Amino acid sequence: MKRQVAIVEDEPAIRDNYAAAFTREGYLVRTYGNRKQAMAAFSTRLPDLAVIDISLEEEPEGGFELCRQLRSLSPELPIIFLTARDSELDAVSGLRLGADDFLTKDLSLPHLIARVNALFRRVDALRRPHETSQVIRRGPLMIDGERMQVEWEGKVVLLSLTEFWIVHALARNPGHVKNRQQLMDAANVVLDDNTITSHIKRIRRKFQSIDPTFDGVQTVYGMGYRWVE
Amino acid sequence: MSLRLKLLLLGLLTLVLPWGGCRYARQMEAALREGERNSLQAVAQTIAASLQGRTDLLYREREDAAQSQPAQETAESQIPASGDPGAPVNGPPATSGEGERTSGGSQPARSAEGQTAQAAPPESQSTPYDLQPVMLSAPPFLDGYGDEWPRAPGSWRYYVKDKHRFGILTGVYERSLYTLLEVEDAHLVYDTPGANPLDPTAMGDRIWVGMQDPQGHERQVFLAPTGPGSVTARRIEIGEYGQQSAVDEPRIVGALQPTTLGYRVEIRVPLSMIGRSFGVLVDDREMRGAQPVSYGTLRSDDLHTVGRLIVSAPELTGYLAQFMQPGLRLAVTTASGRQLARADALAQVTELSRQQRGILARFYRRFVDRPGDRTHIESTAPIYDRDHREIIGYLQATETGDRWFLLRDRALTQMLNFTLITSAVAVIAMFAFAAWLALRLSRLRRASESALTREGLVTTFPETESPDELGDVARGFSTLLGRLNEYTGYLRTLAGKLAHEIRTPLTIVRSSLDNLESEQVPTAARIYLDRARQGSERLNAILIAMGAATRVEEAISNAERSHFDLIAVIASAADAYRIAFPERNFVAELPSEPVMIGGAPDLIVQMLDKLIDNAVDFSPAGANIVIRLRLESSHTAVLEVDNPGPVIAPDILGRLFESLWQSRAGGTESDSRPHFGLGLYIVRLIAEFHGGSAAAANLPDDTGARFTVRLARH
Repeated sequence: MKRQVAIVEDEPAIRDNYAAAFTREGYLVRTYGNRKQAMAAFSTRLPDLAVIDISLEEEPEGGFELCRQLRSLSPELPIIFLTARDSELDAVSGLRLGADDFLTKDLSLPHLIARVNALFRRVDALRRPHETSQVIRRGPLMIDGERMQVEWEGKVVLLSLTEFWIVHALARNPGHVKNRQQLMDAANVVLDDNTITSHIKRIRRKFQSIDPTFDGVQTVYGMGYRWVE
Repeated sequence: MSLRLKLLLLGLLTLVLPWGGCRYARQMEAALREGERNSLQAVAQTIAASLQGRTDLLYREREDAAQSQPAQETAESQIPASGDPGAPVNGPPATSGEGERTSGGSQPARSAEGQTAQAAPPESQSTPYDLQPVMLSAPPFLDGYGDEWPRAPGSWRYYVKDKHRFGILTGVYERSLYTLLEVEDAHLVYDTPGANPLDPTAMGDRIWVGMQDPQGHERQVFLAPTGPGSVTARRIEIGEYGQQSAVDEPRIVGALQPTTLGYRVEIRVPLSMIGRSFGVLVDDREMRGAQPVSYGTLRSDDLHTVGRLIVSAPELTGYLAQFMQPGLRLAVTTASGRQLARADALAQVTELSRQQRGILARFYRRFVDRPGDRTHIESTAPIYDRDHREIIGYLQATETGDRWFLLRDRALTQMLNFTLITSAVAVIAMFAFAAWLALRLSRLRRASESALTREGLVTTFPETESPDELGDVARGFSTLLGRLNEYTGYLRTLAGKLAHEIRTPLTIVRSSLDNLESEQVPTAARIYLDRARQGSERLNAILIAMGAATRVEEAISNAERSHFDLIAVIASAADAYRIAFPERNFVAELPSEPVMIGGAPDLIVQMLDKLIDNAVDFSPAGANIVIRLRLESSHTAVLEVDNPGPVIAPDILGRLFESLWQSRAGGTESDSRPHFGLGLYIVRLIAEFHGGSAAAANLPDDTGARFTVRLARH
């Protein structure tokens, strides 16, 4: 059965372009122009994945509200924010509401589709019994590449997809410096320096909420970051 | 000229007040003086009126005599006719006719009652034989030397006959008449001592003194000196049987001293003996017993007086004295202005003048007094005769200015004190007000200068609460700043907004291109597809660059401060630059000791990135780029990045760090990155976040540029 992707986007051209790309990829696509339409549809049937713009027609923050409602309907539903906004505050808000990723619209379609695929993979992996083949262990760190899940000292660290890929890229070769470009490639995003920096900051903070002494992600000034054990 | 000084000068204008006060004081003084003069005039007129017709007092003429003026006309006319007088220097011949008189026999006639000479006309009809005594301030000592007499050349009278001449000066002191004679006589002939003065053979030079007594009888005494010194005055009396005898007249005192030209005689006669006329006759003999040359103001035949003694009655002084008060002088003069009597209390201290003038008052006086100011006022009133027809004399009243001076001084002092204090208060108040204004203005100025900050414009302005014009200015400024703030705020966010707005259509383009990749596109069309993709990628890069400053500001506001070693960060970054820019040679000059600062190392690196980007862009390949860190003080670390290359024009040095400002001349060919003049602005933002500043300069030898960032150490 085809997976159903819901696109909530008020700009018809973008919506249709995205829909075309997802359809081509073999997904069943439902598109909505505003929050009301979307919620009406979601209340009868939940999609398998939702791509949501933050500002929806006359509601500047409609995407956030929709995310909150959707999350209350289903805690596991993958949600991706796709927005023209690139402010740090929006990203933090979106991720705090339980979105799996927060992307800006400069992301290319192939990159977006890669993410969607990844998220579906994770959903599948979570449903399957635990496999260890994809698991990387670095001391207290455990990365489950299949489920795209990270544990620190046995506790799950809730990372967004972008963050997961950054941690994954760093931890795979501990001690190797990954520059920003490499991290961006790994995360399938095009970001500027400050966005990478804030991603790194968020990652550190999330680890530190479990272990306040966490210092696994080190900055090599002028070059990039590396994982230290 | 500062506002303070200007207002101070304005305040000095209030010194007009004391100036005006001085003017007013002068006018007041003039008015006072006028009033004093008027009252003095009234006094003078009153006294003059009380003296109307009182010739008895003024000229010792009895009222009845004065009334019988017509009768006296004849006597008057006779005078010149009688005898051949010695000619006075300045007038008709006087008396004398020697022959008869000098014969001893004629003497009784002399002493006989003369015609009752009537009261002479008042002063106006004076003759050369009239004697007008001066007022003596002290009695001359009768010694024949005349030293004590006032030097009054105009008061001398001279009488001449042939070669003979004498001068006479009369004076009055209290109740005596003093006479000084200077006789020119080559041969002073004394009487034979011890001889009978009436013996003609013993007679030498003689001086006759003749007078009409108060009863109108002619009296004569003679002074027959027998040597220098005092001379006895004698009168000739006729005994029961007609015999003549010389009797001493002790009331009249005289003294004689020879002089180089002749001799000098002083005589004192009590005024009580003298009626209205008085005269002196000199008998000049060449030798004892010789016929004398007689001349003077007595008729030579009968020795009767021809000239009046114009002198006031002694009572006149007493009469005047009753009007006296301290600081006043009253004088009665003849119609021609000669003083007859005087009562003088001018020098007496009045009650008012006794009060000491204060130092301030004396000081103020200097500003008010003019050199010409007279300290006395005078007033003259005519004294008329009984019929109010003729002026017989004048009354002069003189008063010291003490009274009005003191009144004026008191008023002046008070007023000047008041106005000076007012001026001082006004000046001080103005100065204080100016200082306050200047303070407020400088506060406004400071506020307006510091209104433009990195965070935007400060719209909270001082003085906006004041209700005055400065408040209006401040409110105007505040409003202006508010609008400017909105405007700059709009400009500042314009790039971000623009980026945001462009992002949506760009996304449409890019997603369409992405979709197009999956479609069947002819090979020929694929070229254009690639170009469109390249264009959209560049557009995307531009959008990212445009939002860079906003993101840095965001990063700064979210930055966490930590304590870190600046050297480690810079050294690490320098290594990265060596890899990133292999065509440039990076030289890091760093202190050996760690340099700890507080801040965000990420931001420091970002700032260094921008500086290095800039240095790389403007330097040729193979150039040495120097990254230098030095310690300027215990509080400041200085990071310098030197690059060889073109120098920066001086006029743009100060603007390099402004937002959206750039001076790249079109950019180099190899440079495809968009530039919005945000790089150095970001440097400034980060430097300021670290409590420092950023500056640009050319290298001392003009071989390149140097960017300096100061950072606060902690």
